[in-house]
Amino acid sequence: MPMIKVDHLERDFVQQNIHWWKRTSTIVHAVRDLSFAVQPGEIFGLLGQNGAGKTTTIKTLTTLLLPTAGTAQVNGLDVARDYKAIRQHINFIFGGELGLYRRLSARDNLLYFGSLYRLPLPTLAKRADELLALVGLDNEAERLVETFSKGMIQKLQIARGLINDPSVLFMDEPTIGLDAMSVQNLHKIILQAKQKGTTIVLTTHYLHEAEVLCDHLVVIDQGQKVAGGTVAEVIDAGQKQVPDTAITSLEDAYIALIEGGGTHDPRHLGNH
Amino acid sequence: MIHVIWETIKVQMKNSWARPMFRFTLVASPVLNTVLIYEMFLHSGRHDATSYIILGSGLMGLWSSICFSSIGDIARDRYMGVLPFLFTSPSNYNLLIVAKTIGNTVLASLTLVISAVTAAGLFRLTLQIPHPGLFIAALLVTIAGFIAISIPISYLMLLSRKTGLYMNVLDIPVTLLCGFVFPLSMLPSWTRPISAVLVPTWSTRLLQLSLRITPDWPAWRTTLLWNGGLIVVYVGLTALFWRVIEHRVRQQATLEVNE
Ligand SMILES: Nc1ncnc2c1ncn2[C@@H]1O[C@H](COP(=O)(O)OP(=O)(O)OP(=O)(O)O)[C@@H](O)[C@H]1O
Ligand SMILES: [Mg+2]
Repeated sequence: MPMIKVDHLERDFVQQNIHWWKRTSTIVHAVRDLSFAVQPGEIFGLLGQNGAGKTTTIKTLTTLLLPTAGTAQVNGLDVARDYKAIRQHINFIFGGELGLYRRLSARDNLLYFGSLYRLPLPTLAKRADELLALVGLDNEAERLVETFSKGMIQKLQIARGLINDPSVLFMDEPTIGLDAMSVQNLHKIILQAKQKGTTIVLTTHYLHEAEVLCDHLVVIDQGQKVAGGTVAEVIDAGQKQVPDTAITSLEDAYIALIEGGGTHDPRHLGNH
Repeated sequence: MIHVIWETIKVQMKNSWARPMFRFTLVASPVLNTVLIYEMFLHSGRHDATSYIILGSGLMGLWSSICFSSIGDIARDRYMGVLPFLFTSPSNYNLLIVAKTIGNTVLASLTLVISAVTAAGLFRLTLQIPHPGLFIAALLVTIAGFIAISIPISYLMLLSRKTGLYMNVLDIPVTLLCGFVFPLSMLPSWTRPISAVLVPTWSTRLLQLSLRITPDWPAWRTTLLWNGGLIVVYVGLTALFWRVIEHRVRQQATLEVNE
């Protein structure tokens, strides 16, 4: 059984446009008829341009947003209906510097977010220390997060994301804005989490990263899937788009797919 | 569950205390308020002036801390990007909010002490407490009432982003409408119904009653009933808001800063 199953998922947003004298609203189809499955223990990538619908998909899977139509299941549980049961078994991190209490120490952050999962304190304290060591922050455990660099914050985010020992960890652009060394470091941590059996769903704009990390991936354009499979399969799909050019990297395939996939309906369906 | 509440209270107190604005509201404003209210009452000739001076500034501080913190905390959690994590954690978000409010209230109780110390130090005024037991009981009811009213208000923040507006709308008007610093009989009569549905009005009255040398039991009974009744109403509102919020937040994505 797949760990995650997304079936004809749709998610619309109503965007308010405020003019001088009136307000209008536009419906944006952020995710359209998206289907994919993620197997237990794999690293799964969501790729796509800015605004493609990656974050929206992750928010739907993490029970932050309701689907407009279609279904999504995590561990066999429906995201719309069984959201409470799902929450115990997942966690998520967003790239960037948000998502932690900046005025608390690294360790206090882990202890607090862990306590929300109703872990007994001794277990929690032990796990917090293990995770701090895993991400290489054991010497900065007592420092306030506001004194941390981006890379350190990102590491702490991952530790926070693993504090409840989730079956699935969702990561939205986990390496955004990090230097090459930190990126390497984070990749190691992500692979270690995978080794321990955590299923990982991540989004990234760095195609090389997807190539290194992902077992399977989907390429989304304007809310719709344009290709999916292993890295090799996606490269093949890209090659089919441009038969005359030799495609060897995921990056070339991605560009071919996005450029070739421009036959969708307009996503803004007028005013109402 | 106890553990989550306790951890949330601790985190809340650490976070609040780390904010200069909170420390200012907590420490400096009761001192200033005590001085101002003292000046107001200087020539009033009222026998209960002392209780208005000390309790009034203490209650103002308590209210500002609770109002600003509980409402502001949701905004701060949103800006720090932790709101989605709190909201989707297996712990009930209501519980977290109650715990946060308790944390603020405990810290905010300091304002009463600071007002009393200021009044004693600057003006040689001390609050005569004939029945400490009754006073403490009234104080506990007051705190329960403040917590109960601040939660449904802070829930409105989850549905809206006009946080600053609400905070400012609530702060001073409540101070005036609930009779913290002067008797309600001084306000025009159309304000009575508004005062009546705000629990701090009745908490203030209860505190005033607890300072009488001979307790006025019938008045105690009515006032307690109002306090209790309104607390029940606010809890009901909280539950109602929560049902709306839980769905709306997931439908309309109001948890984040920039969307
Ligand atoms: N809360 C919201 N209200 C209105 N529109 C939204 C909201 N969230 C997202 N959208 C819109 O939905 C579309 C998809 O956004 P989403 O954030 O999922 O893209 P993304 O693939 O994560 O992009 P990026 O790579 O820039 O992070 C965009 O057009 C965006 O403007
Ligand atoms: Mg995104």
